Amino acid sequence: MQVLPWLILLLPLFAAVGIALGALPAHRRGVAARLSVGAAGLAFLLSVLLWSSGTQGEQGFLWLAAGALKVEFGWRLDALSVPMLLVVTGVGGLIQVYSLGYMRGDKGFGRYFAGLSLFTFAMEGIVLSTNLVQMFVFWELVGVSSYLLIGFWRERPAAADACKKAFLTNRVGDFGFFLGILLVWSLLGTVNFTEMSAVLQRQPEALGGLATLAGLLVFCGAVGKSAQFPLHVWLPDAMEGPTPVSALIHAATMVAAGVYMLCRVFFLLDVPGSVALEVIAWTGIFTALLAGVIAVQQDDIKRILAYSTLSQLGFMVLGVGLAGGSHDPAPAMFHLTTHAAFKALLFLGAGAVIHALHHQEQNIWKMGGLASKMPVTFVTFGLATLALCGFPPFSGAYSKDAILLPAYEQGRYGLLVLALTGGFLTALYMFRLVFVAFLGPAKSQAMDQAAEVRGVMKWPLILLAVPTVLAGGWGIEGVYRRAFGAAEPVEAVSWFGQIIAPLTHAPMVALLAFVAAAGGAFVAYRLYWDALTDPLPDKLGTPAEWARRRFGFDELYARIIAGTQDALAGLAAAVDRWVLAGAVVRGGHGLVELAGRVLRLVQTGNLQGYVTFFVAGTVLLLLFVLTR
Amino acid sequence: MKGLELIGLEIAVIAAGIAILLLDLWTAKEDKRRLGYAAALLVGVIFLASFAMLFEGRQEAFHGMYVLDEFALFFKRFFLIAALLVLLISVEFADRFESGVAEYYAITLFALAGMMFAASANDFTLLFVSIELVAVCFYVLVSFQRQRDRSLEAGVKYLITGALSGGFLVYGIALIYGTAGTLNFRELASLGPEVLESRLLLLGLLFVFVGLGFKIAVVPFQIWVPDVYQGAPVPTTAFLAAGSKGAGVVLLARLLYTGLRPIADRWGPVLVMLAMLTILYGGLCAIPQRNFRRLMGYSSIVNAGFILLALAAGTADGLAATLFYLAAYLYGVMGAFVVLCLARCPGQEDETCVLAGLHHRSPLLAATLTLAMVSLAGIPPAAGFFGKFQVFKAVIGQGAAFPYPAWALGVAVFGAVVSLYFYLNVVRTVFWSSTSESVAPIRISHATRWAVYLVIFAILWLGILPGAILNLAEYAVHSMGL
Repeated sequence: MQVLPWLILLLPLFAAVGIALGALPAHRRGVAARLSVGAAGLAFLLSVLLWSSGTQGEQGFLWLAAGALKVEFGWRLDALSVPMLLVVTGVGGLIQVYSLGYMRGDKGFGRYFAGLSLFTFAMEGIVLSTNLVQMFVFWELVGVSSYLLIGFWRERPAAADACKKAFLTNRVGDFGFFLGILLVWSLLGTVNFTEMSAVLQRQPEALGGLATLAGLLVFCGAVGKSAQFPLHVWLPDAMEGPTPVSALIHAATMVAAGVYMLCRVFFLLDVPGSVALEVIAWTGIFTALLAGVIAVQQDDIKRILAYSTLSQLGFMVLGVGLAGGSHDPAPAMFHLTTHAAFKALLFLGAGAVIHALHHQEQNIWKMGGLASKMPVTFVTFGLATLALCGFPPFSGAYSKDAILLPAYEQGRYGLLVLALTGGFLTALYMFRLVFVAFLGPAKSQAMDQAAEVRGVMKWPLILLAVPTVLAGGWGIEGVYRRAFGAAEPVEAVSWFGQIIAPLTHAPMVALLAFVAAAGGAFVAYRLYWDALTDPLPDKLGTPAEWARRRFGFDELYARIIAGTQDALAGLAAAVDRWVLAGAVVRGGHGLVELAGRVLRLVQTGNLQGYVTFFVAGTVLLLLFVLTR
Repeated sequence: MKGLELIGLEIAVIAAGIAILLLDLWTAKEDKRRLGYAAALLVGVIFLASFAMLFEGRQEAFHGMYVLDEFALFFKRFFLIAALLVLLISVEFADRFESGVAEYYAITLFALAGMMFAASANDFTLLFVSIELVAVCFYVLVSFQRQRDRSLEAGVKYLITGALSGGFLVYGIALIYGTAGTLNFRELASLGPEVLESRLLLLGLLFVFVGLGFKIAVVPFQIWVPDVYQGAPVPTTAFLAAGSKGAGVVLLARLLYTGLRPIADRWGPVLVMLAMLTILYGGLCAIPQRNFRRLMGYSSIVNAGFILLALAAGTADGLAATLFYLAAYLYGVMGAFVVLCLARCPGQEDETCVLAGLHHRSPLLAATLTLAMVSLAGIPPAAGFFGKFQVFKAVIGQGAAFPYPAWALGVAVFGAVVSLYFYLNVVRTVFWSSTSESVAPIRISHATRWAVYLVIFAILWLGILPGAILNLAEYAVHSMGL
């Protein structure tokens, strides 16, 4: 069993290296596909084996020792990492299978699968990390592989810009994360999760007055990777990558990494005297609402889903922020897991639509009537929409309720109301998407040719629909809860028992959430059923326009960054030109050259002059020595 | 006669020279240049024989005049390798001599014999004899291209300045004998400070230093270097830069580290002063220099400064650094001159076409020249880097005991930086200068090709795995009783 985690971790790496070395050319695409999908599938099977064996613990070897800093490279298995491993390899594997169909005929087929495998490797590394430094290494690897995949169609300027933007925006967050790691290490003397947790258990005040700062710096990493405000701008652009990549980034990997990391280091955030969790909660809910409002006025099918991801990530981060005291962040992980399934399904469904439209059309106002042409896609997409909006008995309802519950129990009604508003917005934009794109009249000629996807693209949709519908009753939250010290459940609860649990446990929250979602769906029905154009801009005017323009964050950042960068670059150029090149280099060079030219005057070529020089030198030397 | 077995290597070299002269009589005219291969082969055999000869420790002969120890052997091997490479270059160069090709080889061998005697000189008499043997041979070698004015001019300049320095040398020796009553280095050391500190003896020693400084090309006795380097035939210049300089260094080193050890605090500061001046002069003059041969002349001056700096340390480390530095310098110089000899441009005096576009004409030679420049500039992983590193280490290792440590280090760093500029300028010309010349590829004979490989290998070996040569140098220094 000890070798399994190593295998799971390294299989995708071997696949990536193997493809990069031998299967990049188009005629070896079969090899590339087999290597990549095989590695992903095997990793998933081994993860299932690991899960069923119930292996727990930690193993690693000393990788880096510099003075007091000891960094291990290894794996850690617990109730947090093993289910997460299942999510990463499971959803990731299905996306790889789907990619076989979606990317068929692309000339960069091998490169694509090498990137996917590298991405999987990096994400598994984050999940299995035993310490912050190892996690940071894989954190950056995720950044690199996302860069490669978002910019996969590198000949498109939009893709090139998007991958650059994703990478740079993430770097901003990572910088804070790294500072946080340094701070935590200097305060606690270790970067190992187990040891850090033990130190904090012994002396909860170990972080002292810097507790909030340390927590927030670490949170910076999550702000970048999980695309929270104000670093959320990269995620919507990241859809420039192939759609399965979007599914991967938005569902099981990358954005999930931030939330996972917060849960992993939750003991750092939940310390006395720290207000980090408060900040995290408000950041989460703000992101959720902001993204929800923007999503309502987007027309690109993938962009709507991208903002929906932002919004849901906001809920997860809220879930972390609401934990503390008697509550743990298991709801965040629960929502992450269910979201991984239905968001992957939504993106793959969107990919199926785009594929059916020959990669020509992504604007929902040009679609319509797809439900009859693509029934499987429509049904699965619809199920995922219901799950996302939080209608019971679909999975999303339970994970979202789990997040709302602490807010209700802690009496933080402000957050609760805002979260319910977020739920309302979720239903609004999702049903808008479904009504406009799948139902309603066809709004362009292209719809006539649309046909159901087949084979390797259809089955992942169907398989992902299973957890989308059922996962609410699988007791996932209970599993995660064990990672935060909760005991094993005394008695097994049946699936049906789990499904009706919210009603018996906290009927108020469940009811409110249902009302919010239903309200959103109803408004969407009134506005968009059979609509040919979006009526909202006319009704709302300016606010809708702002939402459509995403509140101008991109332009604002571009202006700030360009301004700062231009100023700094101007300064650096001036220093370089006048001080370095001018004074130091030119001046120094000029002086030396001048001295050389003067000295060379000695070298007249005249023999009498030489002999005079020789003798004069000798005399000076004699004077120097003998008069001392 | 006792001692003859000790000078076996020298006898063998002289015999080889005579053999070449005799062979010349029975060799057809068109085959004469091939005699250089015979000479090189003989030198190679003698080099190998130097390892086969077993010596039990330090041995003296001719009343202590001649000494054979590991230190002497290190230098004898150094000179043998230098001569071997020079002879191989000479064969390539031979068609540019109007006549007397065999004599050129023979005189090179006789100069080599003089250097090898210098390596063993433990007495002012042998010092003078060996240095004059070398000098007389070089007077001929420098002006060997009798049809070229520039070669003759260089010969005259070298002769006059050399004779001047020789005059100082012999006068100094007379003064030393007059005050100390001995010519032997060891006996000189045992005289005690009051005799050694006497002004008349110091005057004599300074005059000797003038003679040796001329060989090493130390300021203010460097004045002849650029003109002679430019005018002399390429193999002669190479031998001047490596062999003649080496002879001066070994004589100076043995004099300072045996005879004048008791007054090390007297000569240390003088050497450091001159070393700094030498580095500054060579480095600054090289900056505006565009002629490659004159540049190599200034480079030779800069390197003399570094060698003097290492010698000035007065410690075993300093002497070992000197030895290693010389070994590294030898291959850098040989790499440069073998290229200069092969990449000829007929009818042009300024030789710019030697460098411009060289990488089109011969990638191998371009790489060799680049590596040689990199090594001379002291960039890792080439040999020169480790040589400079050893010098710096010796200076820093002395700490405050070193005369003017801060100034010396500052000037040394300055010299290293400046030389980076002019050496890399050569590399730039090789690869990035626009050339309108015909790019006829350069043909390289097998023997020379092997010489080139040897140079490349040695530069990299000394730079990457300096341990073996460093051990040899330390062993040699140890045999001096340090």
